[in-house]
Amino acid sequence: MSATVLKIENVHTYYGKSHILHGVSMEVAEGEIVTLLGRNGAGKTTTLRSLSGLTPAREGRIEILGHDTTRWPAYKIARLGVGYVPEGRRIFPNLTVLENLAVPMTRPGYWSVDRVLELFPNLRERRDSWGRQLSGGEQEMLAIARALLVNPKLLLLDEPSQGLAPLLVHEVFRVVASMREQGISILLVEQNARFGLEVADRVYVLNDGQMIHSGPAQELAKDEVRVRALAGAGASEA
Amino acid sequence: MELLLFDGFNGLIQGAFYALMALGLSLIISLNSVINFAHGGFMVVGAYLAFTLAPYIGFWPALFAGPILAGILGILVERTLVRSMYGRSDPIYSLLLTFGFALIIEDVVRTIWGAQGVPFEIPAALGSPVSTTYFFLTGYRLFVIAAIGLATIALFAFLRLSRFGIRIRAGILDLETVSALGVNVYLLRSVNFAIGTLLAGFAGVLAAGVLQLAPTMGDDVIMATFVAVVVGGIGSLFGSVLGGLLIGLAAGITTAYYPAASDVVIYVIMAVVLIVRPRGLLGQEGLFE
Ligand SMILES: Nc1ncnc2c1ncn2[C@@H]1O[C@H](COP(=O)(O)OP(=O)(O)OP(=O)(O)O)[C@@H](O)[C@H]1O
Ligand SMILES: [Mg+2]
Repeated sequence: MSATVLKIENVHTYYGKSHILHGVSMEVAEGEIVTLLGRNGAGKTTTLRSLSGLTPAREGRIEILGHDTTRWPAYKIARLGVGYVPEGRRIFPNLTVLENLAVPMTRPGYWSVDRVLELFPNLRERRDSWGRQLSGGEQEMLAIARALLVNPKLLLLDEPSQGLAPLLVHEVFRVVASMREQGISILLVEQNARFGLEVADRVYVLNDGQMIHSGPAQELAKDEVRVRALAGAGASEA
Repeated sequence: MELLLFDGFNGLIQGAFYALMALGLSLIISLNSVINFAHGGFMVVGAYLAFTLAPYIGFWPALFAGPILAGILGILVERTLVRSMYGRSDPIYSLLLTFGFALIIEDVVRTIWGAQGVPFEIPAALGSPVSTTYFFLTGYRLFVIAAIGLATIALFAFLRLSRFGIRIRAGILDLETVSALGVNVYLLRSVNFAIGTLLAGFAGVLAAGVLQLAPTMGDDVIMATFVAVVVGGIGSLFGSVLGGLLIGLAAGITTAYYPAASDVVIYVIMAVVLIVRPRGLLGQEGLFE
């Protein structure tokens, strides 16, 4: 039984007056890769935003690495060891690749600018290009590299495969899988269920702000019909 | 011809002041999301503090001490007042707050230093004309242009080369993602506000040597500063410099031909720019391109 890296209990999150998450609970254990599936608008991004402190939960409790972080500001949560790869990558378009990599507050650890450029040789070639000049794939690599510089114990990835060609999806897949060897726990949000289920140990499915399924990823990976029913029509297409 | 040169040069100096003020204001608008009407007030405070300190510590140290104190005042104001404005989407609150604060600064300055203008002594070496033909080219005026040029270059170097500066540029476009990467954005905003007010204080001290000190000296500059930011394009620091120089020069040259219109011309320029190119000359292109 390994330690719990993330534990959320009965979380309710709102955007202003609209109530989005209705009592979400989930856990991620050390070294585990957990995938969160769900239809468009199910609340997956909102869940990650609650965890990372960008849209704090209004009710419930979030515990990360043994700390109650429910009311913590985002930057403190990141410094605890939470790397965040946001939906749509959110590369700084007015900064070069190297400058993008200078933004994160680096915690001591394995990852350094040199190491992430080793991991993504493409980025090294483009290190002086502006963020907005990068292709979708390069932006994704940069967003992952940027999050790794925090030297995370928990990595939150919001649809890293979105809009990428199959070859690049595979590349992202390879990198995510290799994080496990680093002892980094991963919470992965995916529309691409095939990819999401293939890398994951366990899976949760969110619908209308509530968990409607949780279990081993293997089990669900075998049952495409079930995936479709739970996570929407587009979910099972690779 | 000589008159045109004279007015043109005056316009250039005026424009350099607008540019320096606009740079600080632009940083504050972009990262703190606050329309700082008190920006002229920080200029006045920097100038008067330098004026008060100069007899004790000398002109050169006061030239730096005044702006630094304006920066420190900026941090205090940001922490106590401005911070409560973050997250309010309606800019009217920050506008009212800083407008009120500008009035308070003006009154406090009037109470402490008096309503009358006072001359600011500059070193004799800087006071004399460098040329007899071009009598208006005093050493001090050339010094002002050089000092503003250096301050501008230093700011751009800071934003381009230091990690803190890079984070400010990142935060201007996406503060949320900066915070998710572990950067203390509260501190980032405080320091940014202080840099803006420090630049205003520096402009104030330099201006005090050209004109004289008066509690209302900020009022004359603040509207032109806003015009410079809008003309240059909100969000673009290069634009602020360009906008400041442009409207200063335009006002100066107009003075040579038709003095009565020299105050109006900057608003005409703003109107034309807003009609032809609503985002301003360099607006929304992000920084440094
Ligand atoms: N800033 C916001 N203000 C108000 N409502 C929002 C905001 N962001 C998202 N929502 C709403 O919250 C709900 C959940 O959105 P969320 O982005 O978490 O879904 P998601 O599962 O990530 O969807 P997708 O797969 O499309 O990314 C949606 O109904 C959405 O319209
Ligand atoms: Mg989403």
